[in-house]
Amino acid sequence: MPALKASKKRKAVTRDVEEEAEPFSGDELGAGDLGGDLSDNAHELSSDEDDSDSEIELIDDFSDSEDENGEEELDSDEIPSDGNDSTVIEKGPGTTFPPGDSSKGNPSSSKEEEEQPNYRIEKDANGNDRYIYDEINPDDNSDYSDVDEDGNTIGNIPLSFYDQYPHIGYDINGKKILRPAKGEALDALLDTIEIPKGWTGLTDPSTGKPLELSQDELELLRKVQMNEIPEEGYNPYEPLLEWFTTEKEIMPLSAAPEPKRRFVPSKHEAKRVMKIVKAIREGRILPYKPPTEEDEEEKALIKYDLWADEGERPDHPMHIPAPKLPPPGYEESYHPPPEYLPDKKERKAWEEADPEDREQEFLPNDFGSLRKVPGYENFVKEKFERCLDLYLAPRVRRSKLNIDPESLLPKLPSPEELKPFPTACAAVFRGHKGRVRSIAVDPTGIWLATGGDDGTARVWELLTGRQLWSIKLSDDEPVNVVRWRPGKDALILAAAASDNVFLAVPPITDPETEQASLEVLDAGWGYAASKPAPRDAGEEKKSTSPQWIRPSGALTDSGVCAVIPLRYVAKSISWHRRGDYFVTVCSGSSTPASVAIAIHTVSKHLTQYPFRRRIKGGGPPQTAHFHPSKPILFIANQRTIRAYDLSRQLLVKIVQPGARWISSFDIHPTSSTAAGGDNLIVGSYDRRLLWHDLELSQRPYKTLRYHRKAIRAVKFHPGGRYPLFADASDDGSLQIFHGNVTGDMLSNATIVPLKVLKGHKITGELGVLDIDWHPREAWCVSAGADGTCRLWM
Amino acid sequence: MNLKLPLTPQTNGLKMNNGQDLATGSHQAAQRQVRVQLTSQHEELALPDNTGPILVPTGLRRYALSTLVNNLLGNDKPIPFEFLINGAFLRTSIDEYLTANGISSETTLEIEYVRALIPPLHIASFEHDDWVSAVDVLSASSLASADSSSRSQHQERILSGSYDGLLRVWNMSSQVIAMSPSPTDGGHTSSIKAAKFVSPNSIVSAGLDRTVRLWKYSESRDGFSGKIAPQLELYGHKSGINSLAIHAPSNRILSSSADHSVGFWSTKKSDAPAAPETLLPSAGSRMSKRRKLNTPVSVSQRGPLALLSSHTAPVSAAIFDANDSTVGYSASWDHSLRTWDLVTANLVDTRITSHSLLSLEHLPDHHLLATGTSARHITLIDPRASATTISAMTLRGHTNAVVTLARDPNSTYGLVSGSHDGTCRIWDLRATKTDKGAAVGDSVYSISRRSLEEDSKTNSKRVGGEGVKVFSVCWDREVGLLSAGEDKRIQVNRGDVLSSS
Repeated sequence: MPALKASKKRKAVTRDVEEEAEPFSGDELGAGDLGGDLSDNAHELSSDEDDSDSEIELIDDFSDSEDENGEEELDSDEIPSDGNDSTVIEKGPGTTFPPGDSSKGNPSSSKEEEEQPNYRIEKDANGNDRYIYDEINPDDNSDYSDVDEDGNTIGNIPLSFYDQYPHIGYDINGKKILRPAKGEALDALLDTIEIPKGWTGLTDPSTGKPLELSQDELELLRKVQMNEIPEEGYNPYEPLLEWFTTEKEIMPLSAAPEPKRRFVPSKHEAKRVMKIVKAIREGRILPYKPPTEEDEEEKALIKYDLWADEGERPDHPMHIPAPKLPPPGYEESYHPPPEYLPDKKERKAWEEADPEDREQEFLPNDFGSLRKVPGYENFVKEKFERCLDLYLAPRVRRSKLNIDPESLLPKLPSPEELKPFPTACAAVFRGHKGRVRSIAVDPTGIWLATGGDDGTARVWELLTGRQLWSIKLSDDEPVNVVRWRPGKDALILAAAASDNVFLAVPPITDPETEQASLEVLDAGWGYAASKPAPRDAGEEKKSTSPQWIRPSGALTDSGVCAVIPLRYVAKSISWHRRGDYFVTVCSGSSTPASVAIAIHTVSKHLTQYPFRRRIKGGGPPQTAHFHPSKPILFIANQRTIRAYDLSRQLLVKIVQPGARWISSFDIHPTSSTAAGGDNLIVGSYDRRLLWHDLELSQRPYKTLRYHRKAIRAVKFHPGGRYPLFADASDDGSLQIFHGNVTGDMLSNATIVPLKVLKGHKITGELGVLDIDWHPREAWCVSAGADGTCRLWM
Repeated sequence: MNLKLPLTPQTNGLKMNNGQDLATGSHQAAQRQVRVQLTSQHEELALPDNTGPILVPTGLRRYALSTLVNNLLGNDKPIPFEFLINGAFLRTSIDEYLTANGISSETTLEIEYVRALIPPLHIASFEHDDWVSAVDVLSASSLASADSSSRSQHQERILSGSYDGLLRVWNMSSQVIAMSPSPTDGGHTSSIKAAKFVSPNSIVSAGLDRTVRLWKYSESRDGFSGKIAPQLELYGHKSGINSLAIHAPSNRILSSSADHSVGFWSTKKSDAPAAPETLLPSAGSRMSKRRKLNTPVSVSQRGPLALLSSHTAPVSAAIFDANDSTVGYSASWDHSLRTWDLVTANLVDTRITSHSLLSLEHLPDHHLLATGTSARHITLIDPRASATTISAMTLRGHTNAVVTLARDPNSTYGLVSGSHDGTCRIWDLRATKTDKGAAVGDSVYSISRRSLEEDSKTNSKRVGGEGVKVFSVCWDREVGLLSAGEDKRIQVNRGDVLSSS
């Protein structure tokens, strides 16, 4: 800085020198001018008077006040050049007229001193008086200044004194300074003369010559205009000479140790502090204003706290809280542990990777210390991209569906809560040679009947697996189906083997029940004998209607009471709930359609064929069941299940499960009893188990495909005590389901898979062929192709 | 007086049978010792009166404690003991017990010791022609001979009822002494499901032919031949009879049948009312007629004193109250356990459980009824009206229906169960643990069928107990534990201590 100052000073000096040099430099030019001046001198007297007057007035005005000046300027519109004069004066007050200026200013200021002090009183922000002193002119007030050799030495007298003289004053050498030439004569001359470079049209008041600017001055002006540094050869970017730097010099400027005063507290400061402390203690300085007045004011004033009841407001709807970022880890550190630093390979891989593919946006870098951390090179880029984001991607609050997909699923109870259901094999019934085709638990739940490929029907003790009764119904044909007659009053087993249906009373029950059973079966003989006419009529109508016959002696001894020769192989028997009717279905494709479905009346020993023609579409009928409460017969062929109202002889409903080949179906035992509609389960050879809600749709409510092979049999738990159903499949397994049907029409059935029961061996591509439920318990029996039956509980 | 346990070599005056066990036990918790007071209910086993609390290391287990007691008693032949703290068996070390129950080792532990149950070993197997459904024992200590002390000690007899409809009486050397007559000669026309000695001279049996039959049993002098002669046929049930219960002093029989009723019978011809005509075979069908034709023996036919019918499913078991012969209990497939007043034949109480009940036994000292269920466990039910909870305890372990139960003749806490899974399990009510707020017991021993071990080494686990189902168990103090099953045998198992005491 001292250097700068010095240069400034130097500059001032040089400038002075230059100004001094100006007359010399402009000598040649000025010669003509001078000549002009001289010639002008004579006839410029009168005309000049006004000008000089005005000049003096102007100067006075300056010292007076700005306002007057402005007015004056407005007034003095007569000569525009006048303004130019004033600017010149303004421009160089320090250089050209310092003595005049100061001499002129001093008397005025002294006058003012008498009238008013040298400060103004203003109100500051607190309302206190504030004394604002006039700025002290930093100029030295001395009258000594560089004496201009060409300068006028007339002193501080008005130039008008010289109006009648040809000169306007004297220079320092006592020579008259002649009034430069002025006037029209000169004008003509001037017009002829080229305006020299540097002509200003002004008159230098000190010399009286026209003021012309030298080449250097013009250059200077240009530089000033162009905001350049006017000084020639000045280098603003000189290398900084550092005297005191952070770098430790080998040879320090001073080897003197730090003086002690640097370390001891300043006595002077302590003194001053003590002074203040003393003043505070004595009460001369009051740290706080006495609050008394204000308190009184406060009491008088009633203040209202507008925000007293202000609660926490909810965020603005568009407020989106900034995402919470994880705290920076070691990798973000400027000085991470070495294990976080990438090696060359990683660095290269990172650099070569596409910026979008990079796992991190940065590479951990070790800078050693915080000082050495450079500026963030992507700062601008990042800000720019952020702006682009804000501009191009306005924030829109999207109403996202905030739903847990789990909650959309129906609430299924866990299998543990749905106990009891069969879980383990409790007994194995061995005895059949070949497959066991059919299985049935008797209505009392004590006996189990099975029929198998060895042509026998057997009755077992359910719990222990003890075979109690066996009968050979056919020598080579299998017993296709065995079914107990419902009702506990009698114990009658219907079994279909080869072309016949046998009705038997197994000798395992007490004499009373046995007698009742025999009576049920024998009643028909009498009916048939006493009323031959209707049978004849039936025979006339349909010659195919079979007559029930008494079995052969051996069979009679074994317990068979009646035989119905159907002439075709019946694959399905289903009893009506009351035990008086049962329907047989001969599903063989060679069976004529008119005799495929037969309804047998036990009390009348009557067999009827209700359908004369084949049901359209879907091949031969497969199986049939009576509705548990209504007089409706459900008949399934390969594709559809049709419900016929027997009393009105109408087709009520067609169910299309969508399966290719229906194997079996069952009707929910509480169907249509309370309020709920009919529910059906259908098993199909294409591995599907279908649940139908007949009220809901013709199509299945639920399709369960859990088996790997064809489903052979499906069965609801009878009686509706347990909401269970099961299916049997050729993959050797049974599956137990919970299927709860509520009385509420609005709620759907809940179906929960409970248990897969495995145990039957697959024999010849066949697994489990039939299943049945215990009438009361959650026990289940299954007949397998491996010749065993199993009890599951 | 404090008796320091000899832990240090210099004080090791008492010779330990299993010193190293003690040493290792003390090693682990040498610092911790606990004062125990050993007591016994049995006088012959009790420690001398002057035996005060003993300081023992807490690391001891049952075996070490048993050795200690044997030493204190000075037994030549060590008797295995079980140790009871607060009515539950000590199954862990004392240390673990204290930790588990939060008991300070400063306190004096009251430990009761009882004879441990010796694992019942297989003694003999009695081969039959068909499945054996019922077994009973006639011995000096058995129920049937309780009133008639005329029999000598060494004439134990075993009665078996089989699915071929025959009763057999065996002696202990597995010889058949007597066999009931064939159906043509007045025997059972169908499988026998239950058979019991009423007295040394009479037998009762019942089965799928719906009759309860009383037989007169007589033996020759040498005891190697005998005769079972029909004495009385009791008709009344309409379906197979599942179980029989005898109360010999009052000559009463309880039978349970699949026709949902409990039959109450008298063994005396004079007491019993006439048989219902409709149920007699003569009133039956063509087949029964034919059978009746070739039955030369005419036996008196009587009816039930009462048929208790309020069950809605087959009744699986009916028993007398062990203390009060006027009270009967019955368990049924309809999940209920019913209490009957036999004098008025009225239903007193019904307890509904959640499973089919298949067997029943009374534990009079604990006022509990043990009942085996189809859900593979045994439920202990307090039949008293004051009991609030239905199930007092559950004994789990069987893998198939529990169809037969018998009391331990040596212990009021013991129980044996037979199941269709082919095992008999011995339970002790004190060996319990609490699981989910309910007491759950664990079996002490499990006895599998000998036939299974002999037959098939490879297929030792049968699905559904096929071929090895146990149908009946009987536990006698002298003879031991008998079980009959589908493997056509009666299996006799006996622990050593049973015979030695």
